[in-house]
Amino acid sequence: MALLNSGRLIVRAEISTENETVVSCAYDLTSTSVFVVTEWHAAVGTPVRLRLSFPRILEPTNLTARVGDIRLPGEPGEPGGVRLVFDTEQVAAGAASAAGDGEPVAQRLESLLDRVASPIPNAVTEDRPCRVLLVDDSLLTRDMFAYGTSKFFERPGALAIDHAEDAEHAWGKLASSTYDLVIIDYFLPSEDGASLIARLRRDRRLADTPVVAISVGGRDAREATLSAGADLFVDKPLVFRDLFNTLRMLAEHREYARPTPDRKAILVFDDSPFALALTRAALEKAGFKVAIADDLSSFERQRVAFDPDLILVDVQMPEAFGDDVASTLRGWHGVQVPILLVSSLDQSELARRAQRAQASGYVCKGAGMPELVRRCRELLEAP
Amino acid sequence: MDDLLARFLPQFVTLAKTRITVAITGVGQRDAASVQKTVRELHTLAGEAGLLGLSQVVPLARDCEQKAKNLHSSPTSTDVDVLVAALHELEQLIEGISQRMGGANTS
Repeated sequence: MALLNSGRLIVRAEISTENETVVSCAYDLTSTSVFVVTEWHAAVGTPVRLRLSFPRILEPTNLTARVGDIRLPGEPGEPGGVRLVFDTEQVAAGAASAAGDGEPVAQRLESLLDRVASPIPNAVTEDRPCRVLLVDDSLLTRDMFAYGTSKFFERPGALAIDHAEDAEHAWGKLASSTYDLVIIDYFLPSEDGASLIARLRRDRRLADTPVVAISVGGRDAREATLSAGADLFVDKPLVFRDLFNTLRMLAEHREYARPTPDRKAILVFDDSPFALALTRAALEKAGFKVAIADDLSSFERQRVAFDPDLILVDVQMPEAFGDDVASTLRGWHGVQVPILLVSSLDQSELARRAQRAQASGYVCKGAGMPELVRRCRELLEAP
Repeated sequence: MDDLLARFLPQFVTLAKTRITVAITGVGQRDAASVQKTVRELHTLAGEAGLLGLSQVVPLARDCEQKAKNLHSSPTSTDVDVLVAALHELEQLIEGISQRMGGANTS
């Protein structure tokens, strides 16, 4: 397998340790390692679990790896992060993919790297152009993007780029056209990028569209856009070459684009990051779209941007009791969607609080995740 | 849910041990704020264990939480000793689960 030195490709990376899960982007993927852009650091040699993915390009692929190197932020285009070195035994042994299709990890990576290293195929220039919508109010970014694509894609017309300077214009274009990729800046006038992403994910026709969020907003912007459903977050200033390689791969895989069924959205509010990560993993596995919040301000932001079909609220949290949150949502905000209280309180106490708060019900954490998923299905998938 | 358990158990074990350490420290200090923090840590631990399906852990964690709540009203040394013993029992239970399920490194 050829080592890839120059053809950089951006994919989504989720790093999990015993203490936390960090979502970011990764590039410089080779058969043995990948560089993950992140503020998260750990000692060289620290073992991690790594999940790489990008819609239509790379099915979720689980790997074990170790921190091989740490890089501090440098010049623009040289973000800080960690190089993760894959567990070679696992890759060689062909561990099953997350999708459960049995395709060995090594084969999947090799195929991806070969495609990145290969010349731009005719597929990009045939049929119809690869259509991209860039939503950014910065004229400079739009001009740079247009210039960069004209240099990267040799044949004029291989790529068609639309621009929108705010969410409303973007929504109008999304309603009337089909795009292979949407790139959304977080800081937009009137409605922010996270809110636009959430709208897009709720729309049956658009929900499966690959979305890359961009911003200078750092961690807050990353968390807001990824929670809203962005596939990837890339810090500005952008290194367009990396993004274009991803774009090129998308262009090759347009034939795999397919509509997805309408997935119900669930917002989970809990002060425990562990409970949030676990609940999110279980509900996503069950086919739901999930956003999470660990404090009141984040919850309120997500509630507006994500517009959930169901809200799960922990009860005993430092900032507020979940039943008070539910009661406020019902009484003051007129929220009609189902609300479930989720807690390790006694069942009788939880039932009393749920009734008083006009919640739709409750789930004891002690009943476990299968029961929580069952109750969500019961509320959201009932005829 | 087995894959979720395998994925999240190591993280749970590390977190739970930290929470128990915080709880033991808080019990030793005996002031209201420390006791309250102990109660919160144990409540959260019980919830996390429950979501993960560790049904053996939940009752013991909740028992510890209740014992910690009782410390709010004029606790005796015996009350504290009983809680600390229960916390060590909880720690051993979690350690045992960790070792049985995939031999996670929890050192």
